[in-house]
Amino acid sequence: MLVERHERRVFNLALRMTGREEDARDATQDAFLTALRKLSSFRGEAAFTTWMHRVTVNACYDLLRKRQRNPLLDRGDDLLPLEPPPAPDHADDTSLSIDVQRALRRVPPDFRVVMVLHDVQDLPQDEVAAILGIPVGTVKSRLHRGRVALAKALHEERERPGTPGPSEGTMPR
Amino acid sequence: MTHPEELLSGYVDGTLPNEERAVVDAHLAGCAICREEVELAGEALMALEALEERPAPFGVTGPVMAEAGRRFERRGAVWQRVQWGAGLAAAAALVLVVALNLSGGSPETLRAANPNAEAGAEGPAASMAAEDARPPKLERQRAVSYDDAGVRSLALGAEDFARKDDAAVETDAGDVEFAAQDERGAAIECLRTSSAPLDDPRDTLVRLIEAQYQGTPAYFAVFLESPGGNQPADSAIVWVVATRDCRNLHFASLPL
Repeated sequence: MLVERHERRVFNLALRMTGREEDARDATQDAFLTALRKLSSFRGEAAFTTWMHRVTVNACYDLLRKRQRNPLLDRGDDLLPLEPPPAPDHADDTSLSIDVQRALRRVPPDFRVVMVLHDVQDLPQDEVAAILGIPVGTVKSRLHRGRVALAKALHEERERPGTPGPSEGTMPR
Repeated sequence: MTHPEELLSGYVDGTLPNEERAVVDAHLAGCAICREEVELAGEALMALEALEERPAPFGVTGPVMAEAGRRFERRGAVWQRVQWGAGLAAAAALVLVVALNLSGGSPETLRAANPNAEAGAEGPAASMAAEDARPPKLERQRAVSYDDAGVRSLALGAEDFARKDDAAVETDAGDVEFAAQDERGAAIECLRTSSAPLDDPRDTLVRLIEAQYQGTPAYFAVFLESPGGNQPADSAIVWVVATRDCRNLHFASLPL
């Protein structure tokens, strides 16, 4: 079933774009509702994947815009946790990846989206260009500038007082 | 000094061909800024690659599946019947004529009618500008309301429509009204907002209509879509967005 096959991918793209599980859920549902109309007659699997990514990116941009327009809905203040603390069954999601997620949110969306598609979702540059409707050269330069911005944001996240390092809080008894 | 910005991501990825890698190495030897950036980009890449994929929350697509079920039940009833809203005779006639005339033209004729189908290598900026300037004009059918069957008729008629120019459309329909260029621009903008495939080299816009979709004022964009690689179009797509907020109301794809 197409929905199940793409669900995890779409959700993870939305999660890295919006930085919040609740928003990622909404964006995933919006994306699938929009895509639903095409499912019955879609034939080219590759083109569908491109289109599904495009629809998802769009749903994420919509959510991010909505949040910008209504700051009350945006509890995404950098000082607040982006997601609830990892539950026991998410124990592999260390505070290290939470740092990365927080830093990602500080990179402008146009750069963030290129990194998420290319570096997290492992899509080739020309596929990223097709999804976003921008030239491959633009993908390349945004990728580089995005990475530099992310690394700088990551340094700042990790230097922030009160942010526990990866191994703190796990003192052996 | 100009920095080889477009090469640096590939350099960090380790995917640059030897000659380009040598160009970057030579630049890095004399550029402290780029050396620092390459180091930072490498750190970022490692951090991103370490992000683990999360399982999708249970039931996240539940509402979608429910909607899919409802659509499946409805489809038999709706898609086979032609249900027109009140007072649509003229427009309905136009669409039906076009639909009935659909008789598989050769790919060559189609391609000739859509020179842009060949323009796969063009950058989106170029095709975007071209999209804004060239036909089709925006047909105004504000009193007409399409339902799913009507949308399907638009898809069925796409191939035929692509072979006509505006003059022929006017002659055939008798009373087709075209909107002014700036209104057409607003329609294109709205469709672009909703991520309609306007800038995809595989998709050729053949028809643009302002009408209603099940009573909601909407823009309809009819595309012919090629599977890529300069092959002729093999499906027709109808994209419907609300004129008020550009939200996607409907999407239909039909194999030719």
